[in-house]
Amino acid sequence: MPFELTIVTPEGQSYQGSVERVVLPGREGEFGVLTNHERFLAPLRVGAVEIITEGEALYAAVADGFAEVDGESVTVLVDSCELEHEIDAARADAAVAAAQQYLDKAAGDEDPERYRHYEGELERARTRVAVSRRKRQ
Amino acid sequence: MPNLKDIRRRIGSIKKTQQITRAMRMVAGAKLRRAQAASENARPYADRMRATVSQVSQGVSEEAHPLFEQRASVKKLEVVVATSDRGLCGGFNSNAIKFAAKLIAEREAEGCEVSITTAGRRGQEFFRRRRSEQLEGNYPQLDWVTYVQATEIAKAVSGRFISGEVDEVFLVYNEFVSAMTQTPKSVRLLPFAADDEVSGDILPYEIEPDPESLLAVLVPKAVEVEIYRALLENQTGEHAARMAAMESATRNTEELVEKLTLQFNRARQAAITRELIEIVSGAEAL
Repeated sequence: MPFELTIVTPEGQSYQGSVERVVLPGREGEFGVLTNHERFLAPLRVGAVEIITEGEALYAAVADGFAEVDGESVTVLVDSCELEHEIDAARADAAVAAAQQYLDKAAGDEDPERYRHYEGELERARTRVAVSRRKRQ
Repeated sequence: MPNLKDIRRRIGSIKKTQQITRAMRMVAGAKLRRAQAASENARPYADRMRATVSQVSQGVSEEAHPLFEQRASVKKLEVVVATSDRGLCGGFNSNAIKFAAKLIAEREAEGCEVSITTAGRRGQEFFRRRRSEQLEGNYPQLDWVTYVQATEIAKAVSGRFISGEVDEVFLVYNEFVSAMTQTPKSVRLLPFAADDEVSGDILPYEIEPDPESLLAVLVPKAVEVEIYRALLENQTGEHAARMAAMESATRNTEELVEKLTLQFNRARQAAITRELIEIVSGAEAL
């Protein structure tokens, strides 16, 4: 039985539709949601969202946020969301390389704020790469 | 009486100015639509965020998150002033700056120490000249407001609030009332106050792992969203104000051209009449 999924970012709504199942990257681990799930709220980390509609899976890379679940609908509020076909794989690869390079060079002793920033950047870029790969398989 | 050549030159130069103001009006109009769309797009996120924060913060104590903390006496205050980067938009920036300067002066009279953060180059230039030692940070908009900018401002002011460097944070920006009116406004950003009224159903949510750690994620985001929303509104107002300013500038040049054309025709007619008189009186003298 399908339910309503909405993904909203500060830039606008990036996904809305009727879905059968959704798997979200919770801070405490991934979790799947089906219709009539208990109402709950959970923070999300950077990761991939798996949206399943009519047996087909669609992936999206999301950054930090939270999900609001009630029986008939799921609302996901995140800083950013890119659906698999919106991701430029070459650019995502380049972003991974750039962040990795910075981290290798800095190795923790530099400005900790910047270091954390690049760590986050690397994680987001890796998620984007992973999401764009799954599409090609 | 100015001669014909001078008048013609002036008409020419005013028409060129008119082309510029007309072009700027068109550009501002296009940007206004884009800015309005951006505000529109941010609304669902902002509304949802506010609703959720007030739902979750029901029934938790004030100590549930450090950004909620109300300080007994406010000794240090920070004012975030949003302006635009560019001028030529009428009184838009000077209104916001004056409003902020008044707020700062009032609080200083009460014995508060005030620090300033500017979002937008116009405000930055103003306060750099007058209160440079009070400037904490500057965040120019660089063409277009982004969520990342709001995040940076939010991180900076929240950090200073939590560390105790400031006890309160205010945000001054131009409220977009309509395309014709923008009014400067101040809102208290920190300590963060969730709406007391909960809209919609208040069915308790199962919160994972617990309300406190969820608030740790939510509240900083709500502050970011609050700033982002204000910056977007300010941006919309900027383009609306510029459009109105350029509209009236264009109208003024039209009036001027009309007046000068009249003057030009009069001067030309006067010259012809003079020449005729000269010829006639010359003929009579013979």
